[in-house]
Amino acid sequence: MRVVIAEDNVLLSTGLELLLHRAGFEIAAIAGDAAAFLTAVRDHRPDVTIVDVRLPPSFRDEGIRAALQARRESPGLPVLVLSQYVEQQYAAELLSTAVGGVGYLLKDRVSRVDEFIDALRRVAGGGTAMDPEVIAQLVQRVGDPIAALTPREREVLALMAQGHDNDTIAGRLVITDNAVHKHIGNIFAKLGLAVSDSGHRRVLAVLTYLSAVG
Amino acid sequence: MTSVRRWAGVWRGGVYLLVSLLSGIVTVLALPVLCVPRLARPWADRHRDRAGRLLGLPTASRSAPRAAHRLAGAGPSTGRDLLWLPVHAVIGVAIGLPALLCVGNVVTGVVVTTLWWAFAPEDRPRPFVDVPVTGWATALTLGPLQILLLLALAYVCFPPMARAHARICLAVLSRSTAEQLADRVAVLTRTRADVLDAHGAELRRIERDLHDGTQARLVAIAMRLAVARQALSDDPRDERFLEELLRDAHEGTEEAMTELRGVISTVYPPILADRGLAGALTAVTARCGVPTRLSIGDIDRVPAAVEAVVYFAVAEALTNVVKHSRATTAAVRVSRTAGRLSVVVTDDGTGGADDRRGTGLAGIRGRVLALDGLVDIDSPAGGPTTITMELPCGS
Repeated sequence: MRVVIAEDNVLLSTGLELLLHRAGFEIAAIAGDAAAFLTAVRDHRPDVTIVDVRLPPSFRDEGIRAALQARRESPGLPVLVLSQYVEQQYAAELLSTAVGGVGYLLKDRVSRVDEFIDALRRVAGGGTAMDPEVIAQLVQRVGDPIAALTPREREVLALMAQGHDNDTIAGRLVITDNAVHKHIGNIFAKLGLAVSDSGHRRVLAVLTYLSAVG
Repeated sequence: MTSVRRWAGVWRGGVYLLVSLLSGIVTVLALPVLCVPRLARPWADRHRDRAGRLLGLPTASRSAPRAAHRLAGAGPSTGRDLLWLPVHAVIGVAIGLPALLCVGNVVTGVVVTTLWWAFAPEDRPRPFVDVPVTGWATALTLGPLQILLLLALAYVCFPPMARAHARICLAVLSRSTAEQLADRVAVLTRTRADVLDAHGAELRRIERDLHDGTQARLVAIAMRLAVARQALSDDPRDERFLEELLRDAHEGTEEAMTELRGVISTVYPPILADRGLAGALTAVTARCGVPTRLSIGDIDRVPAAVEAVVYFAVAEALTNVVKHSRATTAAVRVSRTAGRLSVVVTDDGTGGADDRRGTGLAGIRGRVLALDGLVDIDSPAGGPTTITMELPCGS
């Protein structure tokens, strides 16, 4: 699987390179700024991209803008955005470009290699990987409707919103697939959402719900 | 329309002059008591307000110098208040007395016109000082004539007389440019000391957070890795021990990262650096549990310190809205006029916010005052709550 990385910090980009290489990814290019990243995406047509939010020259939100721009130029391009902090606003902007895999994770998560690689593969496959902190921000904001959920349902909701499929949720919570299915049915009923199929659409429905209600 | 307004002005002027006469007399009678500065000041303040209102000066410019002055402590204006007492006694009476005569003689005119016959012949009222009323004919000509002439006099004279008195009052009471500057310097010296204190406290807090938290964790991680390296070269290797060391070191780095993120976000929220004040406030209001409308005009560049204070203050205010107000909607308005940034946070909740209880509002006040800003918290029981902040932000 071929990856293009937009990361100006050499320490971090070499770390990522090492980690991805060991996990069997092929690093097509490492770009130091937004323009180089966009060119690299055009040249290499990667399977997935990893973008740091802060890039030269101003070290503000160039990464987010570059990611959105790249997805406009190549619809469906999977993008995983990494940041030192997460902001629900950025997640909403990334999710607004509905087609293709989207991820938004704290850089801290990279150190949990297996989970990070899993998230990257999910994004590459058109899925979603949302940082638990983003979900926490969204859930905190929604308040009342979420309070109607049982603690277990809230756990399922958080994992679902992060982009995990039923199998993973079942594995993480040490419950059966069937139980996960039932919890999800309850969550959708309590939040008044139409039950959609598993996968990306479901995550989007939940995230849209979380960012729209308030 | 204009003549209605003019008459309103005549009425206001008349009332002002009569009250001035009365308070002038009171001032004379109570002069020894009023010489106590603590009494002279409120007495003078009252008249300054009255004069300011009559001249239509904005409230702020009437009260602001006083507020600034209070910060500066008792100063030359006490002397001014004392000097003003005799001035007011003299001009209050001198300008008020003709007004009283004028008003009094209008009343006499009314009596002359209608009730002259009720008096005994020798006690009959005499219009125009000493012209005797001899019957209905003189009463109906002299009475109205006197009223008309005096009303005309009042129409022409009352407003300028009242304004003259008010101006003299303010001229005596308002402080010279030098005094105003001295006050300003005193206020700035104080707020500057506050800024330095706040800055110092902030630096110490950051140092403590980094020292006790992140730095300590890094040391612990380094020690574990060092022991792990030794254990690796040991023979035979204790795999479980190694695994434990590495796991601890790994978890330690994650905790260190979380802590660092916390410290960074309290120093200068990254979203401010990324998106500026407007973008950061958009994120804060979007995150708020109570639906919040943000209106932010074209505020141009604002110093980073002001941005950070506004960001923290709005975030804190909205946290209060969510936690305590039971509001259903809230609004944040940010605007800039010349060198001042004004921020208003309102909600439709139950009110009763008090910065003596809880640290949130006191924190807002402290941060804003430290930058020479103003905070006003209006939160009557039953609501709504309005928090107004004003911060200087360069020009």
